[in-house]
Amino acid sequence: MRALFYLTKQSLVNNVKRAVKKPITLLIMIGGIIYGVFVIVMLGQLVRTVKVDSVRGLLAIVTIWTIYMFFGNFASYSSRKGIIFRPAHAHFVFPAPISPKLILIHGAWMNYLLSIIVAIVFFIAGITVFQIEVWRMLLFFLTGCVLELLMEGSIMTYLYANDRISAENMKWVGRIIRAFLIGVSLLIILYFRRYGLTLESAWSFFDWPGLQMIPFVGWNISAYHLILLGPAPLNIVCTTLYLLSVAGMFAVARHMKCEGGYYEDAAKFADDYAEMKQQKKNGEMVTSVGKKKKKFRRVKEHYEATGAKAIFYRQLLEYKKEKYFIFSKMTLLTLFIAVFFSYMMKDSVTETGMPQMILLGIVGYMTLITTGYLGKWENEIKSPYLFLVPDSPIKKLWYSTLMEHIKALADGCILCIILGTAWGIRPGQTAMAVLIYTVLQANRMYIKVVVQCLLGDSFGKTGQDIIRMLIQMMTLGLGIGAAVLVGTLINIDFVFPIILIYSIIVTVIIGLLASFRFYSMEQFA
Amino acid sequence: MLEIQELSKSYGKHLAVDKVNLFIPDGQVGVLLGPNGAGKSTIIKCIAGLLRYDGRIGIQGIGAKKLEAKKLFSYVPEMPSMFDALTVREHIEFVRNAYNSSAEDEYIEEMLKRFELHDKQDKLGNELSKGMMQKVSICCALVTLPKVILLDEPMVGLDPGAIKELKAVLLELRDKGATVLISTHMLEMVEELWDIMFVMEKSHIIGSYKKDEVGEKDLDALFFEMTGKPDKGGEKR
Repeated sequence: MRALFYLTKQSLVNNVKRAVKKPITLLIMIGGIIYGVFVIVMLGQLVRTVKVDSVRGLLAIVTIWTIYMFFGNFASYSSRKGIIFRPAHAHFVFPAPISPKLILIHGAWMNYLLSIIVAIVFFIAGITVFQIEVWRMLLFFLTGCVLELLMEGSIMTYLYANDRISAENMKWVGRIIRAFLIGVSLLIILYFRRYGLTLESAWSFFDWPGLQMIPFVGWNISAYHLILLGPAPLNIVCTTLYLLSVAGMFAVARHMKCEGGYYEDAAKFADDYAEMKQQKKNGEMVTSVGKKKKKFRRVKEHYEATGAKAIFYRQLLEYKKEKYFIFSKMTLLTLFIAVFFSYMMKDSVTETGMPQMILLGIVGYMTLITTGYLGKWENEIKSPYLFLVPDSPIKKLWYSTLMEHIKALADGCILCIILGTAWGIRPGQTAMAVLIYTVLQANRMYIKVVVQCLLGDSFGKTGQDIIRMLIQMMTLGLGIGAAVLVGTLINIDFVFPIILIYSIIVTVIIGLLASFRFYSMEQFA
Repeated sequence: MLEIQELSKSYGKHLAVDKVNLFIPDGQVGVLLGPNGAGKSTIIKCIAGLLRYDGRIGIQGIGAKKLEAKKLFSYVPEMPSMFDALTVREHIEFVRNAYNSSAEDEYIEEMLKRFELHDKQDKLGNELSKGMMQKVSICCALVTLPKVILLDEPMVGLDPGAIKELKAVLLELRDKGATVLISTHMLEMVEELWDIMFVMEKSHIIGSYKKDEVGEKDLDALFFEMTGKPDKGGEKR
């Protein structure tokens, strides 16, 4: 325990020291704390404004919170993914002579911290906003901080560290838990189907006896009923069941044999999690941790190309081996946005009389804000082979990003053709919107290369993205402003061609600047 | 003393280690040789308690999963991973605490000097190169004053000076009666270290030799004799 305490303490101290050395990080931290306090105060005011600053109001909020936490914890612990270990744990901590249960409990300290902070917020809010007696809120706090944490820790230990149950049987335990969670969800859905989705039915839901009778989570909510509303036969029985279940689970977890069987899964998850963090750091779109090994298709085609062109054909070959060719999550997102807006905004867009302008706005938004299109070209820059290819930097830039332009063109077609057709935009304007989308994506990509080249790793990915966005806004803003002016004063039909031509010119200039990055592997910063 | 009996480990349907038996007495250096994917790292990870397995592993006669056994052995993984926010010295302090090690400050200072980490004690984990991480990993393993030490490809990423130092340290440990197990596919690196060799191929130990039994034969010759792979001239036997 001493070693684990030392590990946590020193990590915290060093992280704070590091943050203090970097004024930006310190400012973000202070800003985050102020924002957090601001949000809590605003929520308190909101509660007063909507007149739920009563005992029942607090009961409703704590019920929602308890259900939310219960689902999250059970779902993650049952799949042994709720606790985040680092690869360094597998190196230094797992082989060390420290009780595996202790390591597990220590690994989840961030989870407990969240529960404790929430319990403190509830305690303060209960006294100040909800005007509840201090002794009741003390009991409330103890339930949240002691009983709930004991229950959570015991369940976590049982599900993670149970060496007696084989891995195969443990999978079944996980499945049973997930089935239970689905059952609870269905019960809630059935309630609202029966009583309707109204404010009254929602309020009645918090008093619904069926809710308090649900094992574990319902019994937990029942304890809050007992504390806040006073004794009633149902909440006395259910709270007793809750206390017994906490004591029972704690006893089982405490006496259960554990020799670290979970280390294998935990180490694998730690590696997957570290990989996911690295992918995010690289700016990739990551939706899950621990993907299955990628399978590639067999390709019979044979390509031949020399110089920088070989880079393009190699990428083409790689994409052909991919399951969905050049189509990615970005394509799915684009398709979703196109379908969603084409129906949801159809009437309001038609009413404006300028649907083509709204399409242009969406195209602009998609290229400025989203962080997709981090395909194979980004890895090209990291590879020394790119710089060894005997060809000019401009050609290298062009051929290593050409496939991304094709991807952008495909996505641009999906976005603009669907929206253009649904909103009744002229085909010529739709075609120009596709080209504008493609050129703006290229523009974004080249600005990013320039920014990376100039800044190195100084501002991190997010900082670089913000700077890239600002540069893009500044460079393109001029053309867009001019186009809007001409469109308003002379003819609205000039807007699309002006933006297209202007963005092509700007993109070519930035592309030429970006090609400097392809001279040598060394960056300026 | 390290004893492995009928050790088996599967990853799904793939049998990575199949009923392996192995014994290294006190004061001896065992080397586990074999090509990539033979199952060497899996054995080391099983001993370190990082994988579930079938069979029995004993450290000084105690089951390897017991905390008493864990106190007696240390582990140097193939790929070192540091805590980002701990310094070199803090990694060592953590290990000293965790193992309740009696290693004194002078010993730690000496190790840090031998592995040229003395002036890098305040560097954070995320500021270290792969080679430096490996050196920290080795120092951490030594700080526990182990009775049994497991090293998985320990020379990878080390500079020549550190390799020389590591070999010297391992021989010192052996002379003090510790059991050393090195898993590697770099035969020349363990030529002057080994007392017992085990050759693995396709999840099995296909043979073993003791140094005092083989006379002047070098490790290379013994290895290829067993595996039937190319000799020094590059021809198949």
